[in-house]
Amino acid sequence: MDKKKILEDGLLEQYLLGELSDEQEILIQKVLKEDADLRSIFEGLEEEFEKIAFENAILPPDSVKKALRKAIETSGENTKVKDISSPKKNDTFNYGRLAVAASFAAIFALSSFWFYNRWQTAEDNLKALQEQTIALQDRLSNLEQSFEITNERYQTINNRNVIPLLLKGNTIFPESRAVAYVNHATKIVMVNSQGLPPLEEDKTYQMWADVDGVMINMGLLPPDRDLIPLKYIDRAESFNITIEPAGGNDHPTVENLISNVLL
Amino acid sequence: MAADPKDTEFINQLLNGDKNALYLLYDKYSGALYGVILRMCREEDLAKDLLQESFIKIWQKIGSYDPEKGKFYTWAYRIAKNTTLNALRKSTPLIQTEDLSVYENKNTDLEVTDYSNLNGILAELEPQHQQAIDLVYFKGLTHQEAHKEMNVPLGSFKSYIRQALMKMRERRSELSLLVLLTQVFGNG
Repeated sequence: MDKKKILEDGLLEQYLLGELSDEQEILIQKVLKEDADLRSIFEGLEEEFEKIAFENAILPPDSVKKALRKAIETSGENTKVKDISSPKKNDTFNYGRLAVAASFAAIFALSSFWFYNRWQTAEDNLKALQEQTIALQDRLSNLEQSFEITNERYQTINNRNVIPLLLKGNTIFPESRAVAYVNHATKIVMVNSQGLPPLEEDKTYQMWADVDGVMINMGLLPPDRDLIPLKYIDRAESFNITIEPAGGNDHPTVENLISNVLL
Repeated sequence: MAADPKDTEFINQLLNGDKNALYLLYDKYSGALYGVILRMCREEDLAKDLLQESFIKIWQKIGSYDPEKGKFYTWAYRIAKNTTLNALRKSTPLIQTEDLSVYENKNTDLEVTDYSNLNGILAELEPQHQQAIDLVYFKGLTHQEAHKEMNVPLGSFKSYIRQALMKMRERRSELSLLVLLTQVFGNG
């Protein structure tokens, strides 16, 4: 740095007063080592400021030196300033304690935040688990229901009192098949219609029981169903399937009879 | 750097852990430093604590003092100044008023002793030169703060400092010459 600039900018005075940044201080210290003129000027400044200080010195009370002695003698190097001023300073703010308290507060705040986050995550997990449990319970309930129906149907047809009857198609529908399960003990009739060919929308299959030459309605037979419960008719001699208008008929259309079986 | 041989001796003793050397340095420099601290904080109780704290720091940090970088007093002055400025920054209490604004508690009701009077050759200088030295040396302001305080450009403020120091040196030379002449003619 230019010597003239150092002098004009008052950098030596500012260095002496401790106003410069660390970088500037290092720079000035380097210059002072290398430049005898500047060093001499700086020494003159030090002398002058020291003289000003001595001319304006104020004698401190003896108590300061006594307190200093006591502090140095009792505590060695790790000395803290002993409060030698009036009692009103006893309530001076304790920054050390404040720092400790602040540290604890910070730790508490951080740990609280951490626990809060953990709690929130646990809450979310619990909620998800509860939802999963409810969904599983629903599925289980449905399965149970489904199992009960299936089991009931199975028990209905897989019983020694049940007579399975095959209703084969006649010439109108030679490929058609239906199976009727009749339990005379419990008076239940179930029909598997999966083997019946599909019909137009305005037609339906209907089943009839022949009792003493009279055809009695047992119910409609939608195709492609595994087990359809129908009305049990006492003293039925045969079962008959006809094709009828949608919604069923009061009397069978004999020319549309597609299958029958004797009991 | 040129150093007082006595100071060098005390400092070496201090480096060897001799507490008496600290008390001897205290005897020599405590008045000068107390004058600075008291003018800066303007409160005796605080100034006493800060003087004690400054010498404890001198005791603890003497290992970092490098005579090549400056005189012992310059180093001690900086310690005292920084200790005081730090204490003042921490202790400026703010009082809340009813309108929820705050103001600095300056204890205006208390009678405060005036420590601002300057002595020696400094007191003989023109007011602007006195004030410039007072602000940076006894009030602890930086050049940047002080020129605003005086409401003059920074360049002018730096000139005040230079002129003040130059005038004081000239005045000291005159006084030395006067003393010499008095001695010569007095003896003659």
